[in-house]
Amino acid sequence: MARCLDGHRILDLTDERGFLCGRMLADLGADVVKVEPPGGDAVRGRGPFAGRTPDPERSIPWLAYNAGKRGITLDVTRPRGREILDRLCASADALVESYDPDALRDARLDYASVAARHPHLVLCSISPFGRSGPHAGYRGSDLTVTAMGGNMALTGDPDRAPLRCTMPSSYFHGGAEAATGLLIALYARDAVGRGQHVDVSLQAAMVSTIMTGASQWWQHRRDRGRSGALYVVGNTLQREVWRCRDGFVSYALRGGPARIPGLVATAKWMAEEGIDAPAWNRDWSAYNHNNLTQAEVDELSRPLQVLFDRKTMRELFAGAIERGLMLAPVNDAREIAASEQLAARSFFAEIRDEGRGLSYSLPARFARASDVEMDVRGPAPRLGEHNAAVYGEIGIRDAELADLRREGVV
Amino acid sequence: MSVRAFEGLKVLEFGGGAAGPIAIRHLADHGATVIRVESRQRPDFLRLLAQSARNRDLDNAPFFTMLNCNKLSVALNLNDPRGVALAKKLVRWADVVAENFAPKAMRKWGLDYESLVALRPDLVMVSTCLMGQTGPRKDYPGFGGQGSAISGFNFLTGWPDREATGQHGTITDSLAPRFVAAALVAALIRRRKTGRGLYIDVAQTETAAYSLSGWLLEHLANGDVVGRDGNRSRFAAPHGAFPCKGTDRWCTIACHSDDDWRRLVAAIGRPAWAAERRFTTLAGRKANEADLELRLAEWTREREPWDVVHALQEAGIDAGVVETDRDLHEDPQLAHRGHFRLMRHAVIGEHPVEALGYRLSETPGEITRPGPRLGEHADLVYREILGLSDAEIAHLEREGVLQ
Repeated sequence: MARCLDGHRILDLTDERGFLCGRMLADLGADVVKVEPPGGDAVRGRGPFAGRTPDPERSIPWLAYNAGKRGITLDVTRPRGREILDRLCASADALVESYDPDALRDARLDYASVAARHPHLVLCSISPFGRSGPHAGYRGSDLTVTAMGGNMALTGDPDRAPLRCTMPSSYFHGGAEAATGLLIALYARDAVGRGQHVDVSLQAAMVSTIMTGASQWWQHRRDRGRSGALYVVGNTLQREVWRCRDGFVSYALRGGPARIPGLVATAKWMAEEGIDAPAWNRDWSAYNHNNLTQAEVDELSRPLQVLFDRKTMRELFAGAIERGLMLAPVNDAREIAASEQLAARSFFAEIRDEGRGLSYSLPARFARASDVEMDVRGPAPRLGEHNAAVYGEIGIRDAELADLRREGVV
Repeated sequence: MSVRAFEGLKVLEFGGGAAGPIAIRHLADHGATVIRVESRQRPDFLRLLAQSARNRDLDNAPFFTMLNCNKLSVALNLNDPRGVALAKKLVRWADVVAENFAPKAMRKWGLDYESLVALRPDLVMVSTCLMGQTGPRKDYPGFGGQGSAISGFNFLTGWPDREATGQHGTITDSLAPRFVAAALVAALIRRRKTGRGLYIDVAQTETAAYSLSGWLLEHLANGDVVGRDGNRSRFAAPHGAFPCKGTDRWCTIACHSDDDWRRLVAAIGRPAWAAERRFTTLAGRKANEADLELRLAEWTREREPWDVVHALQEAGIDAGVVETDRDLHEDPQLAHRGHFRLMRHAVIGEHPVEALGYRLSETPGEITRPGPRLGEHADLVYREILGLSDAEIAHLEREGVLQ
């Protein structure tokens, strides 16, 4: 079946900070060619590994975020490699990179150089802070850009250090943001008559995760600090993540009129359980979470914790669905893998990775559409798996390829 | 003014909250005309978040205003058949319809894709709700807070010896829109080439689980469930936030290689403890991480966060300031990118709006108008776009259709 980006070729020269962008574009139908240094991308050596035994072909982040791409090797730090990269660029619509500044210069992939040689090409740069400005030369992994993007100061418990998410969430926000920017540049190419630079800043992408918090500061001028699993609402602290019998659930007293039927249903549930909950006996039509006092919040919270402590995550979620409560389980990987909803929507696909002799289930899609496919198209490439095919397409024949191999360029 | 990527593109937006409207910012900032169809009976809940005994004004809603810049607003009562008829007229005008209601809402009004594509055969339409348009849990009513829990982000954030806290902000509300926008622009690229429209279904929880593919594959392939681990990383040490001089001031420091570590030791003046052999390899630093963190904190504690970060970055070390809301406004890099742009709104006054995470060199995003007041553009939309007469508009107004 057809895909939205059929006929588009995108060169992917990213490290783990940018993998997700190319994965999305491949799912959407682009021919995404992953260009690795001859020794392979760094995550191949780092793992974790499928089967737990170190093997550069079994690196889990590689398999997960490069699925559906083709893969070639090329040493872009050498003149011969750069010359071949130029030929690849001539055949491509876009190039996405996430080099550190020195490596970017070595590969001549700064925008001025690329635009001069390949005016048709969209160049998408995924970097910690952007490609120009006072911090353009700074290093930044997920930890650092999450800190400098303002999310970290607000995440975690007040009595301990600010926190990031244990998986690198900035690479997901930034990768998907990059895919959007790159596609807008491709869309604009007809009107502009040329490619352009898409300059993604992971830091800037992270600022938006605090949901206008930074902009609202401009009005109230109060730094908020961290409040753990509680949220600052009006003048109160209201719990968002609650303990239950076998884990945690998410539930909130805030949220406006849409939340009120769920609150009423919660009161009914506690009554059926025989839980004494006088604060829940109220005129809900006049309820406004902004007007609660801390004493009222505490009175509402206490019986709720009694209910949650009696039930498992599964029981609470089933009850929430049956009764129309806005309550959700704090799922771990097991629960997500076992989700009936995801199964019904074919969210996971079985990848028969014959080249590696592996078979595994993998998230297959981030969207679905009426008459095009948007799902994963196959396993991640093995090191240099598509060298012959891709180089053949730009007119490099077997003899030349053999030379390049000898020289260590490919 | 430069060429705008979506000049001439017409977008009709239904729904509210954050995830749907944020996605459409990507089109609005790049020149599309976006009309939000709103309701006075059931206002967008972001218009209600700041409501209190003192504030009953639906236009006094900073959160709503900051997320919805560059858009036009009309009020329309979709529970009146005449309201639905007007909405359908607007669909004929539109290239794109975006909605983020629960799945049953658009169907109830007869505004589902099957009905709308009959009016506009090349329509591109996107629906984004929490769980998706199909499946046994499609009608589950949740916000981003629930989305973060369902998709794993809550579980993965916190200290290993304490409850999950989740990352601040309702993470699926900021993550999902980036995917919605990407799918939408891909569909527009296809439409321009083939002339064909498309219907797209994006489940917000699925964009989050897809992002966590690596974490899920570690379970699916190996049976392992990686849990939250504070700020630590399996692949780097030190890797954490360290206290600095001042109240609740912090910096981050990460050493991804033994070279990084050697540079760090030099940058902090080669104290005796740092020369200990147990710290020279990653394995050694991981085995002695608590001690390492305590020692490093003794050094950072005496220093201002920016002093630490400038010094360490000069030495080529991955380090950052844990920036507060205030810091973000003073951050020279964000200022260089023009990240915060000041707008003036008739009710909330002067306020910043945040730019998107990317900058396009030839067709840059622009913020030309603040978030709309509810129904602010009735005249433009009903008179100029739909061609209704003053008498018709007055009649519909009296009948409560334009509410």
